[in-house]
Amino acid sequence: MEAVGDRFSGPLRQRQDTTEIRIRPQHVAEVMRTVNEDDAFRFEILADLCGVDTGTEMQVVYHLWSALTPDWLRVIVEGLSRDDPRVPSVTFLWNGAEWAEREAYDMFGIIFEGNRDLRRIYMPPDYTSFPLRKDFLLPDDAARSPGEGFRHVEQPHQPGESLRRPVLRQGTSEQQ
Amino acid sequence: MSEPVNDNDKQRGGAADPPIYMASDTLSQAQGLAVPPEQSVDEPIVVQNTLWSAANPQAYAGGAPSQITHLRALELGDKSDNGRWSALDIIPTKADYVLDLIRLNSLWPLLSGLACCAMEMISAATSRNDMDRFNMFPFRASPRQADVLIVAGTLTTKMAGPLVRLWEQMPEPKWCVAMGDCTCSGGRYKRSYATVEGIDRVLPVDVYVPGCPPRPEGLIYGMMKLQQLIRERRGHWADRAVGPTVPLGV
Amino acid sequence: MTDPTIIRSLDDPDIWVETPATIYDAVPPYPPRTEREAEFYDLRDGEMLLNLGPQHPSTHGVLRVVLKIDGEKVVDLDPVLGYLHRGVEKICENGDWHHAISNCDPLEYVASMFSEAMPVMVAEKLLDLPVPRRAEYIRVLCWELNRISSHALYMGWQALDLGGLTPILYSFIERDEIVEMLAAITGQRLLFNYLRIGGVNGDLNHDFLSRLGDWMSRAGAQLEASTRLLNENEIFVRRMSGLGVVDRETALRTCLSGPVLRATGVPYDVRRAHPYSVYPELDFDIPTRTEGDSYARYLLHIDEVRESIRIIDQALHEMPDGPIMAKIPRLIRIPPARAWVAIESPRGQYGCYGMSDGSDQPFRLRIHDPSFFNLQAMTDMLPGNLIADSMAIMASLDPIMGGIDK
Repeated sequence: MEAVGDRFSGPLRQRQDTTEIRIRPQHVAEVMRTVNEDDAFRFEILADLCGVDTGTEMQVVYHLWSALTPDWLRVIVEGLSRDDPRVPSVTFLWNGAEWAEREAYDMFGIIFEGNRDLRRIYMPPDYTSFPLRKDFLLPDDAARSPGEGFRHVEQPHQPGESLRRPVLRQGTSEQQ
Repeated sequence: MSEPVNDNDKQRGGAADPPIYMASDTLSQAQGLAVPPEQSVDEPIVVQNTLWSAANPQAYAGGAPSQITHLRALELGDKSDNGRWSALDIIPTKADYVLDLIRLNSLWPLLSGLACCAMEMISAATSRNDMDRFNMFPFRASPRQADVLIVAGTLTTKMAGPLVRLWEQMPEPKWCVAMGDCTCSGGRYKRSYATVEGIDRVLPVDVYVPGCPPRPEGLIYGMMKLQQLIRERRGHWADRAVGPTVPLGV
Repeated sequence: MTDPTIIRSLDDPDIWVETPATIYDAVPPYPPRTEREAEFYDLRDGEMLLNLGPQHPSTHGVLRVVLKIDGEKVVDLDPVLGYLHRGVEKICENGDWHHAISNCDPLEYVASMFSEAMPVMVAEKLLDLPVPRRAEYIRVLCWELNRISSHALYMGWQALDLGGLTPILYSFIERDEIVEMLAAITGQRLLFNYLRIGGVNGDLNHDFLSRLGDWMSRAGAQLEASTRLLNENEIFVRRMSGLGVVDRETALRTCLSGPVLRATGVPYDVRRAHPYSVYPELDFDIPTRTEGDSYARYLLHIDEVRESIRIIDQALHEMPDGPIMAKIPRLIRIPPARAWVAIESPRGQYGCYGMSDGSDQPFRLRIHDPSFFNLQAMTDMLPGNLIADSMAIMASLDPIMGGIDK
């Protein structure tokens, strides 16, 4: 780890079977390339790529595995601002990271520079929010008892009244 | 275990009903019918709420028992044939009866398995719980050839558009079965940002099969209830209400 | 309480998204936003876009693939996911660590013991909680039973996508038996909700053991009968061998795992690479094949079923007595920490990254399904094949949309 040790922005931590290093976004490309290709490390398998929104900053977390060591390697890229998080993409090393980066973009808004296909993967293409951010609240957060904090969209009817109404012919919009 | 489990399924006129009356018992009795004509949903099951009380005593109709179900409203109301073939009024009723038998005995579902409930739907269609016995085996791939849309699995907002398009492509007469909690009311994903809380927000549903996932026997029971609805011409035909309904005052 | 101005009502247009009618047209109505989109939607002479829509008999769940075809040959493809995105991670953040167990169940709905294991093992790792040995053996037993039922479903589904309607009936016979067995201890056929932080929910009972004994006595013969139908079948072999070849380098670059990776020759199995639970004490091999085509993946699944039967045998015989649940408080508050845990699910390496913040709710529970990366292999495998072969190849990757879309 000494070869990349000078790029660390935090101490190397080891807990149970995972070694964790923290780096800054500008060092991502070279650190990843080193751990991937260098014969001392050979972390060839990218197990996971995810985004994290701590309340104050964004992080991107990579988990890697190598045949040479029994430990997992966790690389935390921290210090991404919540307004404009940008990280270099690792798709030049692993093709499979493309969709994972799309997912991190979709859920958090993290822009991966160098990803050739950074569009939304889960939400519809015209969706405007980033759901997994901490400032995106579900109605559940507000409601602590049923019926509080939001209103139901249901059609009231008089008991005994016939329910025959013209069927909605236009798309999926519900009657409000 | 000696009382009938379900009041609905007691035969009217009550003589000599077996103590446990299950829907499967009727198959051998009625010749060729899925459900005998005397059996119908008589009284809705009303479960009194003894667990909690509302903060506002005027809420929920002030503690009165819950309102009647909307299926009952149809029964009390107009019973004329509201199918699209209005010219059939002049043909005697027996033909309608035969047409209904034809329809209910050959319901072709559309393969619309979205998520986990699809596994149970397939399980209901394979050897152990066989839906082919009820003439429902050919799961059509094309909506133009299907009769009933069994929505099995969570409906997300992205999938809502394609699903409604599938529904619109199905030719009449068509029915819709909401299988699983997610399609009935949103289920465990009710508070999620990406799901539709129940497909009755976008499609008119005829039968709700709750469960997470419902057992294959449960789905078969739901399909038999659908056959009963068709038999009694209570499938809503062209004038259906879309959207969950609650009585006023709640 | 939160500020009322940021409560999002269910009528909020961001939450209830009105999908535009054009979302399922093959060519998007807006100009391409990314390089790859421009490259894909740029049609040369003679090429055509075919929309293998979200509802299709051979997509495993709701997967939409836009194929760019030249005649009958697939030139390029663009998978569109998200038709089953239910927001599981966000819901997990709003509940307890215990709620996460039942929330993560439907991610791998075919074999949901594996997806349940994720929040459970992460919480145990964060708490440094030792799990009683009997509970570990029961977990291994249930995991291997789930693996067999998942592989049985795979075999049937593979044949179904090739047009054979019978093998899926055989696999569902097998699957129904296993699932009824598990229903005897968990109470549920599909989404078990059985694992708990610190152990399992209930002990084995007579119903389960008698069904298991019955099944084990027939398991070998049943496996032979099902495979005899397909393994030497000329149509099956000719349609599957040589198609969908992945080589070792591509597999590692695409971050594949599970049978797809092992069929290319890389002997990476999380049960041996990072032993968890009681797998170090059990004796089993890791089947590997080198051809990397669909037929090799199919044979690998069958080999894995045999190994799983061996593991179940050992687990049954070596099961110790003891408690099935560790003593933990009902309300778990985990001090701030991070943990990564990975297990070997029927589809590959199932991983979970959990962050706790000292409260009783997970701060971030990231579930990583192997099918997510495995499905990306499609972009390399499918071009050059006929459309009919594309179905066979997609089926051989064994994707589960519940996990891919979360």
